[in-house]
Amino acid sequence: MKHRFNSGKKEEKVHRPSRATRLFVVWRKLRKSKLAIMGFGTVLFMSMIALLSPIISPYKLDDYRDSNEPPSMDHVLGTDSLGRDMLSLVMNGARISIYVGVGAVLVEIVIGLGIGMAAGYFGGMIDEVLMRITDVIFSLPQIMMLLLAISMFQARGIDVILLIMGALGWPFLARVVRSEYLSLRETTYVEAARSMGASSWRIIIRHILPNILSVIIVLATMDIPWFILYEATLTYLGFGDPMSSSWGILLQNGYQHMESSPWIMAAPGIALLITSLGFNLFGDGLRDALDIKVRE
Amino acid sequence: MGLRDYVIRRLILLIPTFLLTTVIIFSLIHLAPGDPIDIIFRGPHGGLKPEVKEAMRVELGLDQPIYIQYFAWLSKLLQGNLGYSYINSMPVTNIIIMKIPLTLELMLTAEVISIVVAIVLGVIAAVKHHSIYDATCSVGALAGYSIPDFWLALMLMLVFSLWLKWFPSSGPQTVGVVFATPLDVLLDQFKHLILPAVALVVVWTAYLFRMVRSAMLEVLTQDYITTARSKGVKEWIVIYKHALRNALLPVITYVGYSVGFLLSGAVVIEEIFEWKGLGRLMVDSTAVRDYPMLLGLSIFIAIMVMIANLCADIAYAAIDPRIRYD
Repeated sequence: MKHRFNSGKKEEKVHRPSRATRLFVVWRKLRKSKLAIMGFGTVLFMSMIALLSPIISPYKLDDYRDSNEPPSMDHVLGTDSLGRDMLSLVMNGARISIYVGVGAVLVEIVIGLGIGMAAGYFGGMIDEVLMRITDVIFSLPQIMMLLLAISMFQARGIDVILLIMGALGWPFLARVVRSEYLSLRETTYVEAARSMGASSWRIIIRHILPNILSVIIVLATMDIPWFILYEATLTYLGFGDPMSSSWGILLQNGYQHMESSPWIMAAPGIALLITSLGFNLFGDGLRDALDIKVRE
Repeated sequence: MGLRDYVIRRLILLIPTFLLTTVIIFSLIHLAPGDPIDIIFRGPHGGLKPEVKEAMRVELGLDQPIYIQYFAWLSKLLQGNLGYSYINSMPVTNIIIMKIPLTLELMLTAEVISIVVAIVLGVIAAVKHHSIYDATCSVGALAGYSIPDFWLALMLMLVFSLWLKWFPSSGPQTVGVVFATPLDVLLDQFKHLILPAVALVVVWTAYLFRMVRSAMLEVLTQDYITTARSKGVKEWIVIYKHALRNALLPVITYVGYSVGFLLSGAVVIEEIFEWKGLGRLMVDSTAVRDYPMLLGLSIFIAIMVMIANLCADIAYAAIDPRIRYD
């Protein structure tokens, strides 16, 4: 933040680009990287499939045909052991995966932001206590905590999984948010706001938060693929929602018929790989375009 | 403040960290609503009489308020007693000790290979920044980073053990075969190790490569590197002696941090290759809701993670002259 002194003359009009212009600037930078654009395209493509899968999938999910059919003109990706069309199943799986990824990230943001804000802005004891908790959760292996938390749930609906993943995934975000708040609360504009009598709440939400939105967006984009992979892993291991047909379930199913009909296992795995690669590329590109260094 | 004081301070700080860890792990398992006994004994074999369930609750102390349960558990834990497994009534500690060697074999192999490969590739990629080599490696790393590890493991199994029949698909050794020489035994174990190790190496190398590359890129722009070059120091000495040394510091932190993964195993990989180590133990205990086992295993892993992180921090402080001891 540059501070400008006006020596009593007519106040210079500060040019502040509109939101659309700022978005355009980011887009122009993003466009320079082919990989980032590929990532963006993939994310867009997968999201469209997820949204439109009930309309565009070629077969209904309860449409049972010949089982274990190899890929053909009728069934581009073959059929599974129950005779369902693999393409339709994979499309439906995208719906579940994107929902879980985005949902878990939203939960993570709510918790991580809250804790990071409080620790970074207020400092002192609050900071000390919150950060110790954050560090401990951060250092424990994620998959271990997920299994621990999930082991005792009787009903493992997709929403329960999503909540647990979000509730355990926030420490990194919280640490980054905290360090941003720590440095921004010392800036002149925050001091100015404070001296005008703005409340802490107002400063935290209205003054500082908008300045770290880009950091949060980048971190969130980068965390979505992790949550998608974790959900698939948990489901594959048998700790997911058994009623959903997420990619993890399809993979588990494919594993049982791995030798005789490998396409059942190949398709959802490739879909997972493409989705997570897309989000990672997009996240990397976004980080470079927004020029963010994730400070620790 | 010297290094010695720093170590002592860190050791003292370990106590609150440990207590906090126990609280977090204990509450994770009590996160779910409902009663553990009802959850464990449900389904077809769960038709226990209410009186029997009540007796079990009393026996396991589940009728007590949660904080009393916690302190009871903690005091046992401090005496080194992790409790007994519900399923095979053995002490949790014994089971863990039994399973450690297999996990260590797999994880250390994968860890050493990935560290070496990642450092070599990462340094070259950073030195040849913006070259085709750099781009290829970076995209490869991103792919390795994005690939679902269990799917990779399954595909490796399909191609190399089911189709090509080069490597066996499960377990750490062939069961029921008597080998002529110890060398054959070793060879057999080696063959079993390859596929699971490769699955882990791909993912870990990708992760580490990104770290080494970006650390190296940052170091290479620093003034002292320019100074070294302008003094006429040979380029490879500049890279391997001056730059790499500082670039490796984040790797040390990573190695400490990775002990957690190392011990909880890449859970899925162990599951897929029927590698009966700690990771598989964790999955199996979760499946049957053997919760003393889960609790004990988690706290064991957590303690190891704490010790490893401490060692990493101390190593970091000892190596890096710039570090401030606070």
